Amino acid sequence: MDTAFAERRRRDLIVAACLAAIAALVPLFVKDVYVQNIMVLTLMYAALSQSWNILSGYCGQISLGHALYFGLGAYTTALLFTKFGVLPWFGMLGGGLISAAIALALGYPCFRLRGHYFVIATIVIAETALLLFQNWEWAGAALGIDIPVRGDSWLKFQFTRSKLPYFYFALVLACIAWFVTWWLEDSKWGYWWRAVKDNPDAAESLGVVVFNSKMGAAAVSAFLTAVGGSFYAQFVSYIDPESVMGFQFSLLMALPAVLGGIGTLWGPMLGAVILIPLSELTRSFIGGSGRGVDLIVYGALIVLISLARPQGLIGLFSRHRKEAVR
Amino acid sequence: MTALLETRGVWQRFGGLIANSDVSISVEGGEIVGLIGPNGAGKSTLFNLIAGVLPPTEGSIIFDGENVTRLPAAERCQRGIARTFQVVKSFETMTVIDNVIVGALIRTTVMREARAKAHEVLDFCGLAARADVPASQLIPSEKRRLEVARALATEPKLLLLDEVLTGLTPIEAQRGVELVRKVRATGVTVLMVEHVMEIVMPLVDRAIVLDLGKVLVEGKPADVVRDPKVIAAYLGDRHAVGA
Repeated sequence: MDTAFAERRRRDLIVAACLAAIAALVPLFVKDVYVQNIMVLTLMYAALSQSWNILSGYCGQISLGHALYFGLGAYTTALLFTKFGVLPWFGMLGGGLISAAIALALGYPCFRLRGHYFVIATIVIAETALLLFQNWEWAGAALGIDIPVRGDSWLKFQFTRSKLPYFYFALVLACIAWFVTWWLEDSKWGYWWRAVKDNPDAAESLGVVVFNSKMGAAAVSAFLTAVGGSFYAQFVSYIDPESVMGFQFSLLMALPAVLGGIGTLWGPMLGAVILIPLSELTRSFIGGSGRGVDLIVYGALIVLISLARPQGLIGLFSRHRKEAVR
Repeated sequence: MTALLETRGVWQRFGGLIANSDVSISVEGGEIVGLIGPNGAGKSTLFNLIAGVLPPTEGSIIFDGENVTRLPAAERCQRGIARTFQVVKSFETMTVIDNVIVGALIRTTVMREARAKAHEVLDFCGLAARADVPASQLIPSEKRRLEVARALATEPKLLLLDEVLTGLTPIEAQRGVELVRKVRATGVTVLMVEHVMEIVMPLVDRAIVLDLGKVLVEGKPADVVRDPKVIAAYLGDRHAVGA
């Protein structure tokens, strides 16, 4: 019995390594910059959704305010670079740590709330932060920050001539987020989180410190999300509050996981691979007049999924797997 | 011999309602003690106070020589108090084995050891064949067993069973009784709440009867069931006069 479990874990790891290797080869054949751009975004959202999934999927604390951590990551990197000349790599780490610290500070009061009240609190806090940044003169207020281009270099993490370095970094980010989840899944934290999600009272009676579990999940989730935000700031090289802290980012982090399978290892990846290209393509086909059509497509997909397969698309695979065994 | 568990003058008030008034009981190591009484007697409240769901309004709870009155549930579990819930609280999206691993993780953080412990406990509780099934697919009697298995995985000194035998078919209940005996044989002390007397009386070494939040009678099961006060509490005063 133990061996079957260990085998499944190993197989997950091998499949992930193969997929990553295949993804790494794709740019050799796809030279179109527009498509490469979509691939970068897909990988980035895969990483972000995977991070969101740690707090909301595994630990069950649904957050619709992750745009806050995304924005904090983007702003930390951009401000440190433009104001103090600190390299984006340190900005990334700093943004992650600041976000984790803020997640803990916010979690301290908010994790006393349950269910819908917690979700509402996350939305309100993220919106408040958005307003603060829109009025914070030193940080560029509503005009935002232009990150000056100082030429292509890995050191400054800036590339003007090619999207490929961004692509590979986004791939690494997605791999890290996946691997962290894979590793945590079979650890004390992973079990504690799922127990807290399913039944906090029973968890507490079995020695799970519910509050600490939620805090741990929030810190890890916020850290990884902020790293994604830092990456995004470098990728687009211009940020303003609405474009990195807007509510749509909170949704875009949640939806791939919800579509693919919330609280599962592969769900966020699968969801991102379907959802992000779909949304980008709808947006470009319909053009400027169709603002919001991509969101209609999202809505339709979510309704379909919740009717047909509430556990997410990943459920399709596990059912087939079981039938194959029989 | 000092008691493993002792409650000293425990009171619990919910607003104007007094659920437990001046309850002092003790449980010796190795015993099976039944906590019985009619509906609303305060059994579940006392249970929750011992498990640490909430602190008592007054009084203290001593476990294994330590005052645990103010400790939260998770820390009491660490010290060796484990419980089951009257309304089962399985981790529904997790498999049976994963449910039990959560309990085992309090004694080790090495996943391999926790998993091995969980398999061992499932075997002990007769659930080995169901290890990889999601908990949501278990039938009610299996869910009760899972509650027990999960609690046992925390390696408790004292196991609190909240109506694990109620609502089962006679055959299932009999199997449950055997499981409780097996648990005691491994050296675990058992305090069980039941309100169906026929099932618990042959099983327990000692019975404590609660009524209206107070300890009514305490003693050997055979004596307790004949006590006029107990009969009155269960059946009404008319029958007590007859006895």
